[in-house]
Amino acid sequence: MRIAVEDLAVSLSGREVVSGVNLLAAEGEIAGLVGPNGSGKSTVLRTVYRHLAPHAGRVLLGDTDLRSLSAVESARRIAALPQERGGDFELTVREVVAMGRTPYKRAFAAEDRADADAVAGALERVGMAKAARRRFSALSGGERQRVLLARALAQDPRVLVLDEPTNHLDVRHQVELLTLLRDQRRTTLIALHDLNAAASVCDRLHVLHGGRLLASGRPRDVLTPALLAEVFGVRAAVVDHPLTGDPLIAFDHRSVAGAEL
Amino acid sequence: MTPTAALTEKREEEREGTPDRREEEREDGVRTIRAGWVAAALGAALLVALVASVALGSTPVPLAGVWSAVARGVAGREPAPGTQDLIVWQLRLPRALLAALVGAGLGVVGTAVQALVRNPLADPYLLGISSGASLGAVAAIVLGAGAGGALGLGLSSAAFVGALAAFALVWAMARRGGGFSPLRLVLAGVGIGQFLSGFTSYLVLQAGDEQQTRGVLFWLMGSLGGAQWATLALPAIAVPLGLAALLGRARALNALLMGDETAAGLGVDVTRLRRELFVVTSVLTGVLVSVSGAIGFVGLMVPHACRMVVGGDHRRLLPVSALFGAVLLVVVDLVARTALSDQELPVGVVTAMVGAPTLLYLLDRRLERS
Repeated sequence: MRIAVEDLAVSLSGREVVSGVNLLAAEGEIAGLVGPNGSGKSTVLRTVYRHLAPHAGRVLLGDTDLRSLSAVESARRIAALPQERGGDFELTVREVVAMGRTPYKRAFAAEDRADADAVAGALERVGMAKAARRRFSALSGGERQRVLLARALAQDPRVLVLDEPTNHLDVRHQVELLTLLRDQRRTTLIALHDLNAAASVCDRLHVLHGGRLLASGRPRDVLTPALLAEVFGVRAAVVDHPLTGDPLIAFDHRSVAGAEL
Repeated sequence: MTPTAALTEKREEEREGTPDRREEEREDGVRTIRAGWVAAALGAALLVALVASVALGSTPVPLAGVWSAVARGVAGREPAPGTQDLIVWQLRLPRALLAALVGAGLGVVGTAVQALVRNPLADPYLLGISSGASLGAVAAIVLGAGAGGALGLGLSSAAFVGALAAFALVWAMARRGGGFSPLRLVLAGVGIGQFLSGFTSYLVLQAGDEQQTRGVLFWLMGSLGGAQWATLALPAIAVPLGLAALLGRARALNALLMGDETAAGLGVDVTRLRRELFVVTSVLTGVLVSVSGAIGFVGLMVPHACRMVVGGDHRRLLPVSALFGAVLLVVVDLVARTALSDQELPVGVVTAMVGAPTLLYLLDRRLERS
C-alpha cells in the first residue's frame, strides 16, 4: 500500500519546524529521507506514526486520510521503529516483540494463537528465534535493532516507518539490518544518516533541508555534487560503485564545500 | 587474519558467550513457566502470614483460639472485654488485614509509578501525594481536634484532603506544555512534595507536648496501629479497583517502558494514559497514606524484587507485586509489633531497616550481572 505525505506542516511550541513537505513511498518501495541534523526528518516521521499531529497537510495511506482512522486503527497499518532505546525493565526479547500485538488486543484479552504465530514469525524473519528468552537489555546494538524490527513486523503493518535504525551500529550490522529490511518488500519510509546506504537501499529519496523538501527522485538523480554541497556543505564526487553499480558518494574529507572561495 | 586465528577467536567468543547466555535462558525459563506458581506460593504465604500475625504477639493465642474467635466474629457476636476473642477480632485481625491491603496497594502503585515515569527507582511517594497527606494529618494532630473537628475531619480524612490538595497542585504544574512527561511529573512531584514538607516540619516544631510529637512521628514513619474494621473499608475497595484499572492497561504500560514514541506507534494515546495513571496512582496513594502514614521502601522494593523473578511484563508483574507487597507488610508489621518486648516500632522504621539493605543487595547483584 502506498503512503504519501501532502503539504505537511508541523509546529512545535509555536515554531514551524516543518512546512510544505511532500513525500511518497509507492507500494513495496523503500523511500528514504535524508538531510542534515535538524532538517526535520524525525518530525515528519513522527507525524506518520502519530506521535505528533500536523498543523497543516495530511498523510494518505492508500486513499485514506490518516486522521479518519483511530490511533489503534492506524497502528494496525503503520508500524514504527523510533530512535528510542527503552529503560532496563527486565523484558525478554519475546515480550518486546509481543508488544507489536498491542493494537490488536482489547483490555484483559489474553494472547491467542494468531498473536503467538505473528510473534514467532517475526522473530524467525529477523533471525532471532533462538534469542526469544534472552533479556532485551543484554543484547548487542545490532541484535536489539533486529528485535525492534521484529516487533514492528509482529504488528503486521502495510507500511514500515524507521528513524535512523542503523545509528550506532558497526558496518556489518548496518548491512545486515538494511538487507533484512529489503527482504521484507514492504512499503517503507526510512530516515538514514548514511548517504551511501540510502543510495543503495532506497528506491526513492527525499532530501530535507531546514524543514523543507529540497529534492525528490531516484537516488542517482537526487544525489548530485551540487546538492551535496548545498544541503550538507561538503565536497563530493558521485561515481558508480565498483561492486554493485549503485551511486557511490566519495566525500572530500579535507575541505568543506566553498572553502576554496 | 589466518584461518586458524579466526577459528581461535571464534572459539573464544563462544567460550565467553555461552555461560552468560545459558544463565539468561535459564532465568527466563523460570520467569515464564513459574509466574503462576509464584503467585500461588505467595497466596499461600499470605495466608500463613495472616494467621501468624493474628496468633503471635504480647499475648500469644493458640491456633484453635484464633479459629474460634474468627468464627464467632464472622457470626457477628460481640467479643466480651478482656477476652482472647477481643484481641483477635478487634485488634489483630483488622490490623493484619490492613497490612495486607496497604502492602498490596504499595506494591501495585510502585509498579505503576515506575512505568509512568519510566524509572525503576521511582516509588509511590515520588509524586508528592504523600507529602500532602502527611501535612494534612500532622495539621490535624498539632492544630488539634479543634481545627479538624470544626471541619468535621478525623485524622484519616485530614490526610486524604491533604493528598487531594497535593494532587491538584502537581496536576496543575505537570500538565503544562502539552504535558505529563516523566520529567515534568517528577519535577512537579518533588517540588510540591518539598514545599509541603516544609510546612509539615514547621508544624512539628509547633507541636505542644511530647505526646503530640510522638503521634506526629508515628504518622510520618508509617504505622498500622490505628487499624479498626472501619479503617479497612476504603482500601478494601480502592486497592482491588486500582489493580483492575491498571491490569486493564497492562499492555499499554509495557509499551510505555520502551518510550513514548514507541507507545504512540503502537496506538497508545500516551498523554491520556499518563493522565489516567497519575489519577489512579494518586488516589490509591492518598487512600493508603491516609490509613497508615507513609510507609517507606515497600513501593520501591516490591516491584524490583518481583521484576527479577517474573520479569517486566505488567500482566504478570502487577498481580505478583500486589501479593508480594501484602506478604511483606504483614510479616514486617508482625516484626514491628513483637521485636521489642516493651514497645512497638513504627512499621516504617522496620521497612527502612530491612528494605534499604535488601534493595542495595538487589541493585548490586543486578549491576554485576550486566
